Amino acid sequence: MAGVNRDSEAGDESADRYGGADTGVAVDGVGKTYDDGGGPVRALDDVSFAVESGEFVCVVGPSGCGKTTLFRVIAGLTGATDGSVRVAGAPVTAPTTDMGVVFQEYHLFPWLTVEENVGFGLERSDRPQGERERRVDEMLDLVGLTEFRDSYPKSLSGGMKQRVAIARSLAVDPELLLMDEPFGAVDAQTREMLQRELLDVWASTGKTVLFVTHDVAEAVTLADRIVVMAAEPGRVAEIVDVDVPRPRERGDPAFGEHVARVRELIGAGP
Amino acid sequence: MATDTGGKFDGSGLRTGLGLDDPRRLFRGTAGLIGFVALWYLVSLTQPAIVLPSPVAVAAEFRGQLVSGTMLEALASSVRHWVPGTIAGTGLGVGAGVAFAWSGLLDDVTAPLVRVLRPVPPLALIGFAIAWFGLNHAGAAFIIAVGGFWINFYATYGAVEGVSEDLVDVGRTLGVRGDLDMIRSVVLPASLPGITTGIRTGLGRCWMLVIAAEIFSVPGVGREILRASNNLRVDRAIAYILVLSLMYLVVDVAFRAVQRRVLAWQA
Repeated sequence: MAGVNRDSEAGDESADRYGGADTGVAVDGVGKTYDDGGGPVRALDDVSFAVESGEFVCVVGPSGCGKTTLFRVIAGLTGATDGSVRVAGAPVTAPTTDMGVVFQEYHLFPWLTVEENVGFGLERSDRPQGERERRVDEMLDLVGLTEFRDSYPKSLSGGMKQRVAIARSLAVDPELLLMDEPFGAVDAQTREMLQRELLDVWASTGKTVLFVTHDVAEAVTLADRIVVMAAEPGRVAEIVDVDVPRPRERGDPAFGEHVARVRELIGAGP
Repeated sequence: MATDTGGKFDGSGLRTGLGLDDPRRLFRGTAGLIGFVALWYLVSLTQPAIVLPSPVAVAAEFRGQLVSGTMLEALASSVRHWVPGTIAGTGLGVGAGVAFAWSGLLDDVTAPLVRVLRPVPPLALIGFAIAWFGLNHAGAAFIIAVGGFWINFYATYGAVEGVSEDLVDVGRTLGVRGDLDMIRSVVLPASLPGITTGIRTGLGRCWMLVIAAEIFSVPGVGREILRASNNLRVDRAIAYILVLSLMYLVVDVAFRAVQRRVLAWQA
């Protein structure tokens, strides 16, 4: 994991430690302190882990462990109090189109059609018009929504909305897909379908995926590795390798062992 | 001023006020109107014309004013300050609403000023209208613009403040950079339902202000109403009030059609 450390200060030892390959993510000693009026609250404390290029990593933890705060820090939507996040070797200080971000509540632009939502980020890229259109077609096809291209989000189901959101984030061809409980708002059946589809997208695009969830079984279904967090303050409890061959079946004893192991780590708490 | 819009709101705010597309509502509305006129007629039988003229007398006066050309002349004159006043008030109100709601700095700087100016009724500014613009269309347009400004300012301010932070975050992750791009690509479209509701309310308010704007003798429908009232010609006053109502109705129906097209994604 000794990484090429592009455009960062030479001799930054921690970046070497965690800054994996070019397209990976290095979270290094990230801490975040809020002041909610009742005194400072330590939401994250010394969170460090790395995601290698092409890897699928899930972050799980109990509510209040700072998962969403960590997600927002990595996305560049909020700053960290301490430490740093690097994506593809570059420190993250603001949102960048190197990252495709998918939120739990979809947050589609309701005034744009499915097609226009997917093309939103492309409009700001320097690709020529013809290529943008091809890219939108490709993305719609990838998530199976070609026939709904002219629909407005209002008429779509939750699962379809999340597919649009995924296509929208992938359209600008980011290195990293960063997802915050993306399937938390859909029913169980749709969730399993979306999980399978996401694994297909991951396999076919080779993107790096960092996926935040509170659902342990979901994490074990998806991830190469699971970053298990503990609460108060939010910190990394342990990082678990999931060496179960895909496709993973919930009935598989190895699957159950991993779920039990992660649950135990979460339950161990502070 | 939400009651100014005339229509009933059903959440989307786009249901037609007259119910022209719903036979049952149309029937009920017509029945209500006929009932009202019948009641008016009956009551007017017991009253002298200077207290309450009958609907028949009002209709005759309306026709007389229309045929003589006086009515159209007054209307044309009113339109000449209603249009620029409304456009200026709406444009400045929406613009200021977006700017002040989006920029914390502008908001902080202007908040005390806004609180001082807001309660000033447009009518109280007549002295300024005369001093700055004179007894003309421009002066009248100023009065109308002031009234239209505040409605649009507050509607837009509220709509922009209500834009979900999450949509702004999504915009940032998709490469929106800078305030202007964010306002154009995310904030304005997201707040358009609220902004257009404000514009609609403002359009009606501006017709009401035609009377205030013409109080210092600029010719128009408002001045005809004031004159007729001073001369105890209640029938003529009502005839010209009907002109204002009809103009409001025409503008409102037209704007609602535009609004429905622009906000097709809500339906």
